[in-house]
Amino acid sequence: MASVSENTIRSSVEATEAFITWYYDALNKGRPVASGYVNGNKTYQTANHAPADIVINGLLVNTPEEWDALLEKQRIPNSVLEANAAKSDSPLVQYHVESWDTHVINADYTFAAPEDLIKKYSKGAGVRMMLLVTASGTVTFGLDKESPSKKQHFHDTFTLVPNWEVIARAGSKATRRYIITSHNYRAYP
Amino acid sequence: MAPPSGPRGGTASRRRDGNRSSGSTLTGGISKRRGNVPIDRDGDVSMDAPAGGSNPGRGGRGTRASKGSRGTARAARVSSYVEDNRPTRFNRQVLKIHGLKNTKAASNPDGGLRGLIEFIERKASKDKPVKIGRRALDGDCVWINVGKEDAPAVLHLNGYSYAGGVLTVTETDERVPMAGAPANSAETAKHSKDAAELKQKLGEVLARRYNPEGRLLDLSSLGSDPVLSTLGTFESESRAMKAFRALLHIVSETYKNPREKEEGIQAVTVANNQVDDVNTIYQLALDLPGLKRLDLSNNKLDSISKLAKWKGQFRHLEELHLAGNGVVNQENYVTELLGWFPFLQILNGQQVRTRQQIDEYLKTRSATPFPTFLPSNVRDSENVTEAFVRAFFPLYDTDRATLVSTMYDKDSVFSLSTPPAPRPTPAWSSYVKYSRNLDPKALRTSHRSTVTKRLYTGANAIADVWKTLPATQHPLPESGRWIVDSHLLPNVPEPSVPGHPGVNGMIITLNCEFEEADVSQNLFGTRGFSRTIILGPVKPTPPPNTTPPYRVLSDQLTLHSWKPQQAVVEQPPAPVMAPAPVIAPAPPVAAEPTVDADGIDPQVKAHLTAELAARTGMTMEYAQLCLSGAPNWNFDAAVAAFHQMKAALPPSAFTPRPSA
Repeated sequence: MASVSENTIRSSVEATEAFITWYYDALNKGRPVASGYVNGNKTYQTANHAPADIVINGLLVNTPEEWDALLEKQRIPNSVLEANAAKSDSPLVQYHVESWDTHVINADYTFAAPEDLIKKYSKGAGVRMMLLVTASGTVTFGLDKESPSKKQHFHDTFTLVPNWEVIARAGSKATRRYIITSHNYRAYP
Repeated sequence: MAPPSGPRGGTASRRRDGNRSSGSTLTGGISKRRGNVPIDRDGDVSMDAPAGGSNPGRGGRGTRASKGSRGTARAARVSSYVEDNRPTRFNRQVLKIHGLKNTKAASNPDGGLRGLIEFIERKASKDKPVKIGRRALDGDCVWINVGKEDAPAVLHLNGYSYAGGVLTVTETDERVPMAGAPANSAETAKHSKDAAELKQKLGEVLARRYNPEGRLLDLSSLGSDPVLSTLGTFESESRAMKAFRALLHIVSETYKNPREKEEGIQAVTVANNQVDDVNTIYQLALDLPGLKRLDLSNNKLDSISKLAKWKGQFRHLEELHLAGNGVVNQENYVTELLGWFPFLQILNGQQVRTRQQIDEYLKTRSATPFPTFLPSNVRDSENVTEAFVRAFFPLYDTDRATLVSTMYDKDSVFSLSTPPAPRPTPAWSSYVKYSRNLDPKALRTSHRSTVTKRLYTGANAIADVWKTLPATQHPLPESGRWIVDSHLLPNVPEPSVPGHPGVNGMIITLNCEFEEADVSQNLFGTRGFSRTIILGPVKPTPPPNTTPPYRVLSDQLTLHSWKPQQAVVEQPPAPVMAPAPVIAPAPPVAAEPTVDADGIDPQVKAHLTAELAARTGMTMEYAQLCLSGAPNWNFDAAVAAFHQMKAALPPSAFTPRPSA
């Protein structure tokens, strides 16, 4: 297999940027992220792809829904005071990405790919890619975003694969063209 | 945006002068010291200016003022006074453009101003980019502010056609009028004079109404203020509230930044002002969000709904006075207010919540880090991960060339990224030029070539970049400092079967720290990092003597300004302090005192020794020997000495190398 083309590299950066924007924006607005994982994807399910491997601070999380529940537990106010204080679209937990990078792991990804898409997108087209994405930054907790009551550093590692259904839909550029097969999160003080 | 030396700078310096003139009329020695003098935390409100001519860090105030100027007509006028009286900057030129009204662009919502500015910037930027500073449109006339050297290029556009009309461009001595301010210069001058007088009067009022001891700003009974009532501009029933906003505006201008303002003003009284809905004084919440004590006594707030605008504001309010308002006769208003203000302790002089309750509340806040922090999560039945870590890092520390030749091939990819950190220790300088941090804040995507250039593909490219990275010393796997998570990763490429859908690989994420020694830049220290490595099957014809049955497909290194190993299970709710100093691992060459007899830090010696051993292949003992023979442990001298004596050294002087 030849090294990945420049075109593929650029596509990988674009795809990753879209993913990072979507993912952390969802966290920061309190939206669920389960739809970004391979688990509920019909094409991958039919092809018997393993569920996404999600490890949060060393804890194996079985489903993306469980991860959403953890996030929800983390951010949802549990007192009247906080309920009044927190605005629903701006949770008390905020993630701030400071650094990210991406590699193409497999530039000729075919798993569960419909035949027509394999034909339509050649190896160098920068579509049938498996990506390794890392992102790090800080996460802040508390009502006051300027001087948060707690602050942590985090490092996220994702592997992404093509979301064939979305890619097959012509013109669908924005949402979740790539979905998560592996997710590792670690936060440190 | 105008360059820092442009009109904004002028604004700031002029404002200082303006402040000075009103400051001189102030009574009672109210002053705010700034600049090199430690900031006086008694937080006086003052119109005074700092001593000295320079104005470091004034950008914030300029922004603040221009923001505020949108607030009210009064405020705009105060600020227009400030803006209009800026001295002409010797390097700026104001040009006047006529003819826009006769173009098709004039029907645009902004009268065509923006389009015209873009047109001029584009056309004038022939030789060098021309940026237009402040601009204003009034009737058929457009004023623009450009750099003096750019003026000829813009004047050259005189007679150009634009959107179906013809433009005339002329020089002028006029100032660019404030947007929305009357363009007539006589009128402007009148307003300026009014504004100056007004500002001075308001400054006097403020000085009288500020109590530095209580950090209290007294805005009570504004309607009957002897000075305010003489100001013609405030004659009307809303006089008090106009004065209120103008005063707040001046207060905001007085402080360098919101934090200082918050320190300076912790209490405000708006008592006796006939306020019937806090909506009319809503500005207070915007200007002083961190207020601790607020007195609204004797107003006309008849129900809780009249306070509702402030729900969710004043996050730090501890004391509130509402006596003399109808709201106090309402049921449940206390409960309601307690919900709005989480730190409210005293209401109308009564304690409504204890400090202890607040502490408990703070403890039960659910916005907390995940309580779980488990050690390494390695799911790997064949112990590949452990074998890999044991093989990989010692080689990375001592012999990167061998490492790259045994575990990487022509398709392996490596990159590193450094997040933005103000002052990482040690400095990033050895890494930033290789950093592929793709975050737009760090690497503009316009630097497209960097995206590919800093992605090192193939063993040779990786070996080259590794050579230039600082020497490292990773802790032993037993040190307990590693957090390693790994599991099988499906569908990585299988190189031996073309078109194969992929096989299982292994994804390993490591969080740890390493000792770093950049001899060339004299940087030593401990560096936190995360590194994710994906292993895949080897190619059908691996190079001879390659022992591992896998190769590195991908290797992403992220350097941190923090140390992952500090992770503990639970953090106390206390605010996070600066990271505790990390105790460096014992250097390879142990040394008890912090400074050896020769005055060199043993840790530095250890780094130098490790580096020399890595570069030359000598054992640690011989490397140390070689360095101690060099004057002052000079590294380059030691390397030179090594090359001289190389042939004479016994085989035992060298570390046995893994066969490559």
